[in-house]
Amino acid sequence: MQLHETLIRERVRGFLEENFLYMRPDFQLGDDDRLLERGVVDSMGVAEMVTFIEDEFEIKTSDDDITEANLGSLTAIGRFVIQKRATIAA
Amino acid sequence: MCGIAGIATQHAGSIAVEKLARMAAAIQHRGPDGYGFYTGSHVGLAHVRLSIIDVAGGAQPLTNEDGQIVITYNGEVYNHVELRRQLESYGHVFRTRSDTEVLVHAYEEWGPDMLSRLNGQFAFAISDARDQSVFIARDRFGVRPLFFTTQRGNFYFASELKGLLASGDVKATLDPQALDEVFTFWAMRPPRSGLRGIHALEPGTYGIWRDGQLRIHPYYELDFPERGAEPRDAIEQLDELMRIGVDMRMRADVPVGAYLSGGLDSSITAMLASASSPHTLRSFSITFEDPRFDESEWQRDVARAVGSMHSIVSMSENAIAECFPDVIWHAETPLIRTGPAPMFHLARLTKNAGIKVVLTGEGADELFLGYDLFKEVALRRFCLRRPESTIRPKLFDRLYPYLDERGNGGEFWRRFFLDAGPTNDPLFSHLPRFQLTSWIKQFYSADFAAGLSGVDVVDELRQSLPARFYRWSTLNQSAYLEMTLLLSPYLLSSQGDRMAMAHGVEGRFPFLDHKLFEFAAALPTGSRLRGLKEKEILRRWARRILPADVSERGKQPYRAPDAPSFFGPNAPGYIADALSSGSVQETGVFSSKAVAGLVRRCQSGQATSFRENQALVAVLSTQLWHDQFIARPVYPRALDIDAADVVLQDSGSASYSGASALNPPSYV
Repeated sequence: MQLHETLIRERVRGFLEENFLYMRPDFQLGDDDRLLERGVVDSMGVAEMVTFIEDEFEIKTSDDDITEANLGSLTAIGRFVIQKRATIAA
Repeated sequence: MCGIAGIATQHAGSIAVEKLARMAAAIQHRGPDGYGFYTGSHVGLAHVRLSIIDVAGGAQPLTNEDGQIVITYNGEVYNHVELRRQLESYGHVFRTRSDTEVLVHAYEEWGPDMLSRLNGQFAFAISDARDQSVFIARDRFGVRPLFFTTQRGNFYFASELKGLLASGDVKATLDPQALDEVFTFWAMRPPRSGLRGIHALEPGTYGIWRDGQLRIHPYYELDFPERGAEPRDAIEQLDELMRIGVDMRMRADVPVGAYLSGGLDSSITAMLASASSPHTLRSFSITFEDPRFDESEWQRDVARAVGSMHSIVSMSENAIAECFPDVIWHAETPLIRTGPAPMFHLARLTKNAGIKVVLTGEGADELFLGYDLFKEVALRRFCLRRPESTIRPKLFDRLYPYLDERGNGGEFWRRFFLDAGPTNDPLFSHLPRFQLTSWIKQFYSADFAAGLSGVDVVDELRQSLPARFYRWSTLNQSAYLEMTLLLSPYLLSSQGDRMAMAHGVEGRFPFLDHKLFEFAAALPTGSRLRGLKEKEILRRWARRILPADVSERGKQPYRAPDAPSFFGPNAPGYIADALSSGSVQETGVFSSKAVAGLVRRCQSGQATSFRENQALVAVLSTQLWHDQFIARPVYPRALDIDAADVVLQDSGSASYSGASALNPPSYV
């Protein structure tokens, strides 16, 4: 199945709700919410999230990829994963 | 070291010794060697004794010659020899060798002004029949605990909360703000105790109860009058202060041992203690079976260098879980780390080796800026001077490599420190920690959170800072916060006094000699933290007494394993009970659904983050604490009054009939 940004966002959202927001059932995570600023993940959480993204979407990230611009929100993650996969395919 | 308790009332003759015997029973672990009581017309005092100085003649409560002044005292005044000499020159006559008697005469001579002359760690109460007052005091840094409350016009005090509660007159009601402080600062700030209406006497203060009123006064306040340059003879001054500080703390009529972690601070105290001891020094350390935390080989190397006979207690994964209910019973507070549990085991090892007194290195990290937090402050300020720099924030990766076990947190990790707060916030240094710890509050139940509506403990702290705080450098501000928020209420209490006294072991802290503190506080901060090299002047001096590899070894953060110890295959059954939905709902602090999610993640091994570990320890400890002190408290039976070492009775201030405790006491 072709991955598109919406699907990536939903899978990551599910992962975050299951692992980082289980104690906040009423928390609404918007696509553009900043994950760190809203306290969704911490630095260790980022590492955990990156591991999930790598496994789930079959990409590899380098230290330099782990930035606010690439992983700061669901929207950013969706865009980042598509770009990474495109790079691999090329 | 000992335990004290007492009651003062405005109604003559209304204090039953049986009530004092119940209070004393609850704190008997602090003083297993004997106990005694005093009942006067308006005051009752209890004492449980760990005999260390004047083993034969130091029983308490103790009176002056005419019985007007009676003391119950927990602590050590290390300069009691010098004070006695001075008081004798003023005509005071001593009949024992105990430091307790020195306090009685010091009070007669100087009243509350005596406190500025004491070098030591203490909490005591003195009943003065001349004006029917009770004088209570606590040492400068809060080494020894003291709690008090007033109920229906009566005044109660005790070394531990359980001593007050066991009286039967004092009700335990949860103080939500105190818990909110624990889940922000790691510990509640005195005077909060965790229970409404019960107060901790703040370090460096005293109180006078008279005519039904308690008035509290400070007698010592931390200050950092930083010099522009290091004194030329700073190393010589430090040498003298360290040697005198340790020598004074070796004063005891029983052998003195040492805790030896393998780090710089305890190596210094153990080395000086070994040199000062007439016997081969006994030293003790903790290690972990988990090889990631095992430092036993290094500890043995240091012990060899010190020349001590060394014993190690090795903690299995389950050792923390097994003792955790006892740890909470003694700490009397919710916790967010399990660090006190290994100290509980260490004290037991020490006691079983026949040692009642140990020197430790506590306080050095605060005085000489040893913690990573101080480097973090320096780095954050450095980065925020050039916010656009992408190179500077990478220094954080070098500061906390051990926190990043799964790889790295990259930019997020660095931004956490840089976004924590502006440099002009007086709490700048501690805001990252407060934010990290406060994550626990997401687990609050809706009702508990609603009850805290409008409460902002961080802002209350900000508003409570003394005017002089703003004259200090950022590093000294952070040292002050570390001493008041963490050292006194957590390291010296939950992890220190309470765990040691659970087994009748007295800790002594050469680095917390107030003269050494005042020396360090006046040094330029660059003498203490130079670049990212912590405790610089201490290391420079320590080369004189320690092998180079010990004096130059970097700080090894003390990390006890947390969550895994509660969820292994052999985990004790109480854990499932305490974390069950029904139990969590009954306590009401945390959401049972949120806790169920956390438990699920812990059981499946997913809860690997620092924050989830903290949350688990917070929830479990709160559940145990609530059960032990509020929901289902069980206190031991009253001590047998007939078996007491001392029972003094004063039939009235005008017709004192009790013989002096300095001679064989009168028995009732």
